[in-house]
Amino acid sequence: MSTINFATREINFKLVYYGPGLSGKTTNLKQIYEHVPGDSKGEMVSLQTEDERTLFFDFLPLDLGKVNGFKTRFHLYTVPGQVFYNSSRRLILRGVDGIVFVADSAPNRLRANAESLRNLRENLDEYNLRLGEVPYVIQVNKRDLPDALPLDMIQAVLDPSRRVPLFEAVAAEFRGVVEPLKSVSKLVLEKLAQKA
Amino acid sequence: MLEPSLDLYGETYERVDAILSDLLVKCHARYALIVDRKGFVLVHQRAVWAPKPPSLDSLATLIASNHSANVAIAQLFGEAAFRETVQQGTDVGTYVEELGPEALLVTVFDGTAALGKIKLFTKQAVERLRTLLDQERGPPPPLDLDEGWSDDNAKLFDGLFTKRTQP
Ligand SMILES: Nc1nc2c(ncn2[C@@H]2O[C@H](COP(=O)(O)OP(=O)(O)OP(=O)(O)O)[C@@H](O)[C@H]2O)c(=O)[nH]1
Ligand SMILES: [Mg+2]
Repeated sequence: MSTINFATREINFKLVYYGPGLSGKTTNLKQIYEHVPGDSKGEMVSLQTEDERTLFFDFLPLDLGKVNGFKTRFHLYTVPGQVFYNSSRRLILRGVDGIVFVADSAPNRLRANAESLRNLRENLDEYNLRLGEVPYVIQVNKRDLPDALPLDMIQAVLDPSRRVPLFEAVAAEFRGVVEPLKSVSKLVLEKLAQKA
Repeated sequence: MLEPSLDLYGETYERVDAILSDLLVKCHARYALIVDRKGFVLVHQRAVWAPKPPSLDSLATLIASNHSANVAIAQLFGEAAFRETVQQGTDVGTYVEELGPEALLVTVFDGTAALGKIKLFTKQAVERLRTLLDQERGPPPPLDLDEGWSDDNAKLFDGLFTKRTQP
């Protein structure tokens, strides 16, 4: 589903950061923006409320460079995690190539994580997509919280069969931010290479 | 549903490009873009006299998202979509028309253009583009993306975060 522009020789992918409200999706994009050199990134666009909650999405374009004469580009999006913004979340998933699910380690967010994942499945279903068909990784964020839940417990809820690549992170400190992005990008690239 | 995509290449691309240039001249618009529904720029043209455009990635993403939100609003009322989407500021405005299920044609104009003309010629361009795109086209050029291609990209990816942002 990647957009291949033969005329400008660009291959474009859409990656979406999904997860419950306040889990740290926007923080991931902000950190990526800060750590990528200027010539490899575009402007970051954030549609947010007064109190910095995502209202529609955040957007950050990344340029990887050229391979085989084609420029590889990733468009990164976050969805608004708050439950009542579901129609926006569904719109952002349109044409998604890969997903990073950002889970929250706080004990009182375990249910919110599970509900957000269920909501993701439902919304993908609207586009006739299954989670297993879309390249997908999990980032367990906020590992710095003093009462962070054990990783096993979170994994048991989100991926009991332990098949999905899982990464621990403290996104606010740029720890564990690159790895999930790299992992999902790799899956997305391999998927296209297999098709081509 | 697989997201339909509008692949442009070869002669078709050049003819699409020419239709956009012609549109700019006819209605005195600044820029004309074809954006896919996912927010990627497919083709863009800028009038010779127009100032440098803002980030086209940002523009395309916002246009596509805004359009999808407008369609969702229309559907709340049982409409398939709103018929036209014009946004007008003091100096600059945008006009968006659907170009089939895959893409949107966006015209960006300023006070030197008449809105009536913008609408008329944008609609005409959509018809010309549709006719062109509905014609039989040859297969797309081959894509040579093997395992080496994804490995090389992975290396580029590593480079992205090892380069120093600031000395
Ligand atoms: N302790 C801790 N706080 C974090 C971490 N990452 C993000 N935060 C904080 O969590 C809060 C929410 O972060 P956001 O990135 O805005 O969360 P979001 O997922 O985008 O939230 P919505 O836009 O509402 O869906 C902010 O105050 C962040 O500073 C982390 O690793 N550890
Ligand atoms: Mg956010």
